[in-house]
Amino acid sequence: MYYRIIRNDMLKSKVITLATMIFVSAAAMLVSLAAILVVHLSGALDMLMTQAKTPHFMQMHSGEVNMARLTSFAEQNHHVDDFQVAEFVNIDGSKIILGDRSLANSVQDNGFSIQSEKFDYLLDLDGNIIHASDGELYVPVSYMRDHTAKVGDKAFVSGREFTVAGFLRDSQMNSALASSKRFLLSAHDYAEIKNLGSTEYLIEFRLKDMSALGAFESAYASAGLEANGPTITYPLLTMLNALSDGIMIAVILLVSVLIVIIALLCIRFTLLARIEGDYREIGVMKAIGLRVSDMKRIYLAKYAAIAAAGSAVGYALSLVSKGMLLENIRLYMGDSGRTSLASLFGLAGILLIFLAIMAYVNGVLRRFRSLSAAEAIRSGTSHEQGAGAKQFRLSGNRWFSTNVFLGVQDVLARKKLYATMLVVLVISSFIMIVPQNLYSTISSKSFVQYMGIGTYDMRMDVQQTGPIPTNTSEIENRMRSDSDISRYAVLTTKAFKVKKENGSEENIKIELGDHSAFPIYYSKGRAPAAENEIALSALNAEELGKQVGERMTLTAEGAEKALTVSGIYSDITNGGKTAKAVFTDHTADTMWAVICAELSDPSLIDQKVSEYKNRFAFAKVSDIEEFVAQTFGSTISSVKKASVASALVALVITLLITLLFMKLLIAKDKYSIAVLKALGFTNSDIRAQYISRSVVVLIAGLILGTLLANTLGELLARTVISSFGASTFTFAIHPLSAYLLIPLMMIGSVLIATIIGLTGAGQIKISESMKG
Amino acid sequence: MKKMMIGDRIVKSFGEGRERRHVLDGVSMEINEGEFVAVMGPSGSGKSTLMFALSGTDSVDSGKVVVDGKDLSTMGENELSDLRRTTMGFVFQQPTMLSNLNILDNIILPAMRDNRNNVTKISEKARLLMQRVGIADLEKRDITQVSGGQLQRAGICRALINSPKMIFGDEPTGALNSQSAQEMMDILSEINADGTAVMLVTHDAKVAARTERIMFMRDGTIVSELKLPKLEGMDMDQRIEEVTEKMREIGI
Ligand SMILES: Nc1ncnc2c1ncn2[C@@H]1O[C@H](COP(=O)(O)OP(=O)(O)OP(=O)(O)O)[C@@H](O)[C@H]1O
Ligand SMILES: [Mg+2]
Repeated sequence: MYYRIIRNDMLKSKVITLATMIFVSAAAMLVSLAAILVVHLSGALDMLMTQAKTPHFMQMHSGEVNMARLTSFAEQNHHVDDFQVAEFVNIDGSKIILGDRSLANSVQDNGFSIQSEKFDYLLDLDGNIIHASDGELYVPVSYMRDHTAKVGDKAFVSGREFTVAGFLRDSQMNSALASSKRFLLSAHDYAEIKNLGSTEYLIEFRLKDMSALGAFESAYASAGLEANGPTITYPLLTMLNALSDGIMIAVILLVSVLIVIIALLCIRFTLLARIEGDYREIGVMKAIGLRVSDMKRIYLAKYAAIAAAGSAVGYALSLVSKGMLLENIRLYMGDSGRTSLASLFGLAGILLIFLAIMAYVNGVLRRFRSLSAAEAIRSGTSHEQGAGAKQFRLSGNRWFSTNVFLGVQDVLARKKLYATMLVVLVISSFIMIVPQNLYSTISSKSFVQYMGIGTYDMRMDVQQTGPIPTNTSEIENRMRSDSDISRYAVLTTKAFKVKKENGSEENIKIELGDHSAFPIYYSKGRAPAAENEIALSALNAEELGKQVGERMTLTAEGAEKALTVSGIYSDITNGGKTAKAVFTDHTADTMWAVICAELSDPSLIDQKVSEYKNRFAFAKVSDIEEFVAQTFGSTISSVKKASVASALVALVITLLITLLFMKLLIAKDKYSIAVLKALGFTNSDIRAQYISRSVVVLIAGLILGTLLANTLGELLARTVISSFGASTFTFAIHPLSAYLLIPLMMIGSVLIATIIGLTGAGQIKISESMKG
Repeated sequence: MKKMMIGDRIVKSFGEGRERRHVLDGVSMEINEGEFVAVMGPSGSGKSTLMFALSGTDSVDSGKVVVDGKDLSTMGENELSDLRRTTMGFVFQQPTMLSNLNILDNIILPAMRDNRNNVTKISEKARLLMQRVGIADLEKRDITQVSGGQLQRAGICRALINSPKMIFGDEPTGALNSQSAQEMMDILSEINADGTAVMLVTHDAKVAARTERIMFMRDGTIVSELKLPKLEGMDMDQRIEEVTEKMREIGI
């Protein structure tokens, strides 16, 4: 009996049942995929970091290494389980050729090393420790991913020939986010190329107990040991390794949440329409003594069937498609060996979706109870007239055409019904506008200010490839006499120690020079102007616990220097931890220098870049746009892709939901449509009325969506961007796309969906709807 | 006398294949301008179907329908709508009001489609009509806040708002008690006296007795007809007697 009722009900609303099922399966598929990915990611990562014996604490260092001092520190510190100093030699990308391609344009620092002795192993794709023979080169797996190299290729490093013998997984530098990559070769070959580049040291520790990491970190920092480079810890490496797949999982989860919401809205909408449509019938059933729970059970059973079918399809799809998404994890980290566990988690995720849907249906069905049998039978429809509708009279209508009036008035009269569509449209416009605004923000020229880069035209980086002060003044001399250069500024970065509140010391890199020449954006305060002032990057200010106006103490070669924080700025360069000051210093060594220049004629940029490139081979010359593209380009392009993808998803959702909504509305309004037709309203009159309805809802949705995007969305985007180091910014809204293009696309899809959805209205026969 | 409406050998069938059945089996009839006619017949004999066919709300399989001199078969969907809106008015058994609108708005709705700018005039006319049918003080009420009889009267006002030449009523008194039904018929008679043709479908001999001519239908054809003199020319009881007699004669 139940079965028959459910089957008839579904057959009557095929399209809607199917759409609900599709949304449920999509949500189920995504949730299951996310669960499967999480299990595999954590498993594979764990396996990789266990097999490779990833160091718990690592200090990168360039310059001299005092082995004896380090060894005695390691022996005396009771947290240390194992200790080693690994080295690798950085070679300029232009001198590395894999197959027939050079790595000249690579943004990575490419280093060469031998296999570690005790831990931090470089592994092959089967998870085994690689032993390279002479003439063999093992290449980071990311170069396999982007098809730069394949096994058997010839490779040249500074003219020396190697064969690509295989690819390696590096538990430290695998991730595209790690800026260095390690190649592996034999000890003999390493000795030969060692002098061709700059050597960097990895001072690595394994601890007996990971929980002592914090204590060990401060012990190392305060021991005054080698520290000319970043410090990296095991949790940070785990995060780096997990980040790109983690973001993917987060996005999948986010999308699945949205789709679950839409599936629930679909269900709510169908149910409410059905309840309203069957209002009289339900009232009659109640009146003749059928139990409410019996009726509820019928609908529950129907949605249990839909949700179960959708979940099953979704699960099957997730099992089929997981391979595609696991590819990256498999390649970079290997197999997790947790396939059955992953499938189980996927199933659990789907069960969650199923239960959520059933709980929701149950909640919506609570309406049955509040329904009065007498009222239902008397009126035949459930009246939910809004207050707004009452003041809005056709007899007082001066502005709108009657059709538009009827459309608008219906929306006001049945707010609850249209709220469902409104919510979907708000969500859609939100997921269209936010990524679009994010993209236009980070791709706008002024955004470099938020990145800690002034708005200059050309930039020259002078690194430790030679005497920095001499090289810098050489460039300065040239610029001074170059009439094409209207302005320039030299900024030199030096390392100092800063005293923290608790007495411990920490390294801080300070950029010295004239910071007023090419100002950046200060989220608080202003640029340092006096000798005793310093500006901190947001990340540094947070870490040091400093606010604008507070004082801090710097030690430079034993002498202490008191400084006042003049401002805080956002920075994404150098890991986001920088500082700016104007004092002169002759004690510390210069780590690097940047010369920024403004051209009198910006169109000369290409010519100037190549001119300075040729003249000063030791410096890296880049035009600022290129520089931004290199440091931030991949992010910009992936945000662009994401914004296009989300716009498409939003449009499809808008189209589908509007279509469904219209179909339901017409089924519901069959009687009123017949009345209108009998009164002599034409099909195009009726179409105009329904288009007015959806346009009213759409406009409300767009306004709300835009408001939400500019408040909540901006907050969200700020959270995302601050993870790169930029803390404060406001959306740089591209008015054409945000206020014209996106609304137009939304209007287009809503109109198309409305018109398609309305084809049913033309077929409504007056004679069949109104039996005398 | 000028013909308001001519139906010539109208055939209308429903269903496919073996299920196919003629519901109107070659009906021919005429209604003069300003005439007051009734259609009677057993349930399922095709009365409503005939009314929909004559008003152009439903298409016919064959035969010809001419309304106000226009052949409906030559008209498109939109022209039919226009014709219905300007020339005809409808009153149904169940009140067919839009629940979003109050009584006054429901009444003026068909006129507002074309003459929105004359909203004051239209509302004025609606108020006069409402006064005439005795619901003058209900204009601001919601349609759920009035009785069935009052709603039916509002339906008549709506049917009259565009000053149609002809009114169709499919059992307009079917849902009313006899007191309300008689009041309803008083109104329709008055309207008819003003020159509007009226065609009623009814089961009620008392209602039919107030018209000038009664067509009797059975199985999709008009089997008989009864002409009555003008209202003033005959006593009411006598009219009813005559109608019942006729009904008994043809077995309805
Ligand atoms: N859309 C339809 N499809 C199939 N058959 C129909 C359809 N509409 C009406 N019929 C059939 O046509 C016949 C005539 O219907 P109609 O509504 O004209 O009867 P009626 O004389 O108005 O009856 P009543 O007095 O009960 O209102 C009926 O037998 C009915 O079953
Ligand atoms: Mg009928």
